[in-house]
Amino acid sequence: MKKLFTVFQFEVMSYIKNKSFMITTILLAVLLGAATFLPRVFDMSELLGIDNVSEEKPEDGSGEPGESLDEKEKTKLGIVDASGYFQEEMLKEAFWDAEFQFMDSVDALEKAIEGEEVEAGFHVIDDLHYEYYVLNKSIMDENQYVFNSLMSLVHKQVYCAENGLDFATFMEEYEADVNCEEKILGKDGEQNYWYCYALVMVVFIMIVMYGVMIATSVTTEKSNRAIEVLVTSIDSAYLLFGKVFAGAVAAVVQVGLILGAVLIGYSVNHVYWGDKLDMVLNIPSSVLIGFAVFGIGGFLFYAFLYGAMGALASKTEDVNKTSGAVQMVIMIVYFVVMFQLQNPDGIIMKVCSFLPFSSYTAMFVRIGMGSVAFWELAVSAVLLYISIFFSGWLAAKIYRMGTLRYGNPISITKALKDMKNAE
Amino acid sequence: MKLEIKDIKKSFGDKEILKGISFSVESGKALGLLGRNGAGKTTTIRVLMDVFHANSGEILLDGKKFQPRKVQIGYLPEERGLYPKRTVMEQMVYLARLRGVAKQQAVGNAKKWLDRMGMSEYQTVLLEKLSKGNQQKVQLASTLVCDPEIVILDEPFSGLDPVNSQILQEVVRELIADGKIVIFSSHQMSYVEEFCEEVVIINHGEVVLSGNLDEIKREFGKDQLVLSGVELTAQETETFVKEELGSMVEVTGTTKDDVIVRLNERTGRKELLKKIVEAAQFDVEHFETYKPSLNDIFVAKVGEEA
Repeated sequence: MKKLFTVFQFEVMSYIKNKSFMITTILLAVLLGAATFLPRVFDMSELLGIDNVSEEKPEDGSGEPGESLDEKEKTKLGIVDASGYFQEEMLKEAFWDAEFQFMDSVDALEKAIEGEEVEAGFHVIDDLHYEYYVLNKSIMDENQYVFNSLMSLVHKQVYCAENGLDFATFMEEYEADVNCEEKILGKDGEQNYWYCYALVMVVFIMIVMYGVMIATSVTTEKSNRAIEVLVTSIDSAYLLFGKVFAGAVAAVVQVGLILGAVLIGYSVNHVYWGDKLDMVLNIPSSVLIGFAVFGIGGFLFYAFLYGAMGALASKTEDVNKTSGAVQMVIMIVYFVVMFQLQNPDGIIMKVCSFLPFSSYTAMFVRIGMGSVAFWELAVSAVLLYISIFFSGWLAAKIYRMGTLRYGNPISITKALKDMKNAE
Repeated sequence: MKLEIKDIKKSFGDKEILKGISFSVESGKALGLLGRNGAGKTTTIRVLMDVFHANSGEILLDGKKFQPRKVQIGYLPEERGLYPKRTVMEQMVYLARLRGVAKQQAVGNAKKWLDRMGMSEYQTVLLEKLSKGNQQKVQLASTLVCDPEIVILDEPFSGLDPVNSQILQEVVRELIADGKIVIFSSHQMSYVEEFCEEVVIINHGEVVLSGNLDEIKREFGKDQLVLSGVELTAQETETFVKEELGSMVEVTGTTKDDVIVRLNERTGRKELLKKIVEAAQFDVEHFETYKPSLNDIFVAKVGEEA
């Protein structure tokens, strides 16, 4: 165990002395932590869609933000309204950045559009029908949506007038607020969805990124030929375990520092954010514990396999080639879980939450969004941790077998076959 | 301390690389492992170091099963390398600690060996910043940092410049004087001849010659003489030997100026000298006992297939 600690210590120092690793960690933690303070310094109410900073109206008192726009910048629209439903003020309120020209006929409207005097125009037929004229319709054109709401309002006015109803009273009842107090007895899938989504992403990135780092560190010892001295000094299993544990600690520390900076920053500034990021950053402790148990377990499971894949390559540029099969499994698990995120209690997620190569992500999604019995958690965790032991054992065997095999990358099937023959 | 290798066999797939290697070496002695490329020297060393497991045979240290990780061994493999991105001191201490040396002791040993190699000022320098020659010195110092009882050097002189070769020679002499077991493989016979009391010549995975070097030389030179004449070429001397002395000796080799002959069973030296004096039309320059070099022995044993 003392030697395992020696390897662990040496490998951890490799990460600490790696300038790019340290700079990335510190820079990301500082930048993302600082980003949580932005709403204190800048008015981000419009971006965030919150009320703490109100939209400032132009100082000339004209009433709408759009009125400060230069006349040339305003969109010019035409309207043919024989029935006289629309007044200029009403149109201004809906199309605050546009200027309307009232026209007598559809011909005049068409000519104005073709002559590019106006960009588009409306021909009001009655309170439920209108025509929209435009030369070339842009994908971003929203004029019809805005005008639809205006037409709807006009129709209500006409209806009230025809039926002797008071329009104000009608609208008050029509748009009466409905109050609902949620009493969720289980889990709020809508709210929990986003942090589950975020955590699935985080654990996926951690496994792929740090897995490749671990594989590369194993291959580096082969490529710089230090491996022979190492395996004659210490049991190769200690070498691999030391490397994997060091990689795991580096990953947890780096991700922990970055996430910690963001979470602390957000907890200090959540009021300025209007609690808008609660759905991602306000994670219940049960999910965090599930993430720790299953996320770290899954990380270790794959880290050992990545270590073994590193031993199959002799050059660092071959690491991606040898670790392709493991990457593929991780990708498949990632997509399956992502596609099933809205169905956490479905059969696919249930199966995935027990399989060791997918439980690391499927189980904490079920914890966050579905219903999980304690026995399910216990069985899945036991299966995962037994599998970690097995993947560590297998990786140590492959690592030892691949030690002095330089040259072309060894395929995993050949490695397993050679291991079997060696026994 | 006595290290014994007994009838080691090792195959890779269907190919048998070692076909029963046996030899032994004791403390305070150096053993030279010789052989052509691919003969099985490195495989023998790797089996000894438990990098490869032997198919059969045994390795004993003082009569007990040899476990390389339980004895302090300084191993310099043929494929060398350390950590380019770590400082000299860091990696030396790491390697010593992997061998079970306490941290303080490891630091002390590292300083001692760096000092011995004239590398003290490079303790905190990254390995990749050093010249190739200095990296070789660090590699050698790292081999010895665990204060080993057994030192195994696989082709230690290959790639060394003359200055580093000189340092290595001195270090090997010191290790032998300190009572360590030293095993090294080499192509350079002069080094083996200089340090090794014992030699093992391996060819095609088999030991073709082993034993005390002096005895081997004596045995190999037994009944052989070096002959030459003043102002005679080796070819002229050889012609004379074949024509005049053919019934008494057989030519076993020639050097630049001399001919080496073996006396047949019925012929004595005095008798041969008398015959030469009678038959020779030239003055005799050399008539002496043949003392073969290790190179001569090596070529005689494995060189005929070259």
